Amino acid sequence: MNAIWHVDDALLERYVRGAAGPLDAASLEQHLTGCADCRARIATHVEVAPLEMVWSRVREQAQAPAPSLVERLLTRLGVSASDARIVAVAPSLRTSWLFGLAVTLGFVGLGAANGEARGLAFFLLVAPLVPVAGVAFAYGPDVDPSYEVGVAVPYSAARLLLLRTAAVLATSLPLVLAAALLVPGLSWTAVTWLLPALAFTALTLAASTWTRPTFAGVGLGIAWACAVGAAALGQDPYAVLAPSLLRVYAVVGIAAVLVLRLRIRRLTPLGSLS
Amino acid sequence: MTAAATVGLTGITKKYHGTTALDAIDLSFQPGITGLLGPNGAGKTTLLRIIATVLAPDTGNVRLLGRTPATPDELAQVRRRLGYQPQEMGFPRAFTGFGFVDYMAVLKEWTARTPRHDEVRRVLDLVDLGDVATKRVRALSGGQRRRVALAQAMLGDPDLMLLDEPTTGVDPEQRVALRHVLSRAGERSTVLLSTHQTEDVAALCDRVVVLDQGRIRFDGAVQDLVATAAGRVWLADAPDPAARASWRTGTGKHRNVGQAAPPGSERTEPTLEDAYLLLLGDRARTTEVAA
Repeated sequence: MNAIWHVDDALLERYVRGAAGPLDAASLEQHLTGCADCRARIATHVEVAPLEMVWSRVREQAQAPAPSLVERLLTRLGVSASDARIVAVAPSLRTSWLFGLAVTLGFVGLGAANGEARGLAFFLLVAPLVPVAGVAFAYGPDVDPSYEVGVAVPYSAARLLLLRTAAVLATSLPLVLAAALLVPGLSWTAVTWLLPALAFTALTLAASTWTRPTFAGVGLGIAWACAVGAAALGQDPYAVLAPSLLRVYAVVGIAAVLVLRLRIRRLTPLGSLS
Repeated sequence: MTAAATVGLTGITKKYHGTTALDAIDLSFQPGITGLLGPNGAGKTTLLRIIATVLAPDTGNVRLLGRTPATPDELAQVRRRLGYQPQEMGFPRAFTGFGFVDYMAVLKEWTARTPRHDEVRRVLDLVDLGDVATKRVRALSGGQRRRVALAQAMLGDPDLMLLDEPTTGVDPEQRVALRHVLSRAGERSTVLLSTHQTEDVAALCDRVVVLDQGRIRFDGAVQDLVATAAGRVWLADAPDPAARASWRTGTGKHRNVGQAAPPGSERTEPTLEDAYLLLLGDRARTTEVAA
């Protein structure tokens, strides 16, 4: 379009201040769409600094990833925003994993609610393995497609794994405890499964200094399934929580923590130069 | 090895299940860009992994940036100044380009949000991904994903950059743009670039190391490698069965790289690719073997 008339400076200045009336503003905007000269002139009336500030805020809002549920939870618990960011990346700390876990535990709890041996056995099978699975799927080359590049960074692998383990326990144990409330007659034993759960979690971590966390978790899962299966066949699923065995879990757990303490620097299965 | 060497490798050997990936390698690198050439399975990736501190050699000594990365503290010190782009790199689900590079920046100890985000934007702009930073990485093209991987390796302008096939899958226009970025990086950093693209090495590198079966076959200036093919490249009307390599070019002439001139041929200037083919012969075209 050939514009013969041009906007005068006074109107441009009023428009930039927001002081032009709606009619003048609409007319000016219509004119600006077709007049490069006036577009260039209005640019000289606009202050760049505030615009840049607004633009940088808009860009930050658009680009910065929104924190996930677990990330928000962790920052509320006092974890720094940057730690929360890398902890929450673990597959077993994603909202979808936690939702799936809640649904699964709901069914497991309901299955055990009538007090039948099979339902109880299934609850006792699943409960201690929930944190184990969480830890096994929190770190390592099987669950992190960018694992290799993540090894070559200064952030401590041990710190990352321990933070993710703490986050897994903080998110999964309350869900299992809630499911345990559905199981009748558990009374104080409603929490005794916590002992093998914690011992197995420590064992998974300790084993991760030799092998991949997923291998450690699967191995433990199979061993526990065999133990619970044998107890269920003997018509007493609670046999796996017998006082003598609880002592064994405690010893295993403490031993695993000690081993982990000694070997925690060997957490990267690709191998470090040490 | 000179005092200024940023990477010093002595007697590095690495075996996988009885196969020797690296065989008593001695190498040192200074600031500048070095190209690592070699057929698949030559040991390039193993070499870069060892320098990137993600893989331990079976035997040998490694000095990086003036340190021996044997203790966790020394390792962390080295890793603070190191950027690594692995050959194959996946991305955690649901990450955007910005989100992934931001995640890597946290792992590289950029804890303060504002400077970290500024740095993430800077490296994404460097690889020309600023406009697609909010797209999910899995929705990006293969070449764009390689550039996301390169962007994270450039966070903080590391003193040592290890890039394993950074231009694979990247379109020609972007490759030229990346060459500009890499050549700038090579002005102050030590950049090791593993590639199959002899054009990238010819365009970017001061020095080239040719690896084959875990051993160094050539180590020197790019023009010195090219010079080894001087007088051994001919254009002829027919392929030469005795040539190391022979192919029909777009002009209809056959380019023959070999020891002797085929009948009725005219000598032509060699390229880096000719020299590489002459050096490795059929081994230059070895099929893919992970190592």
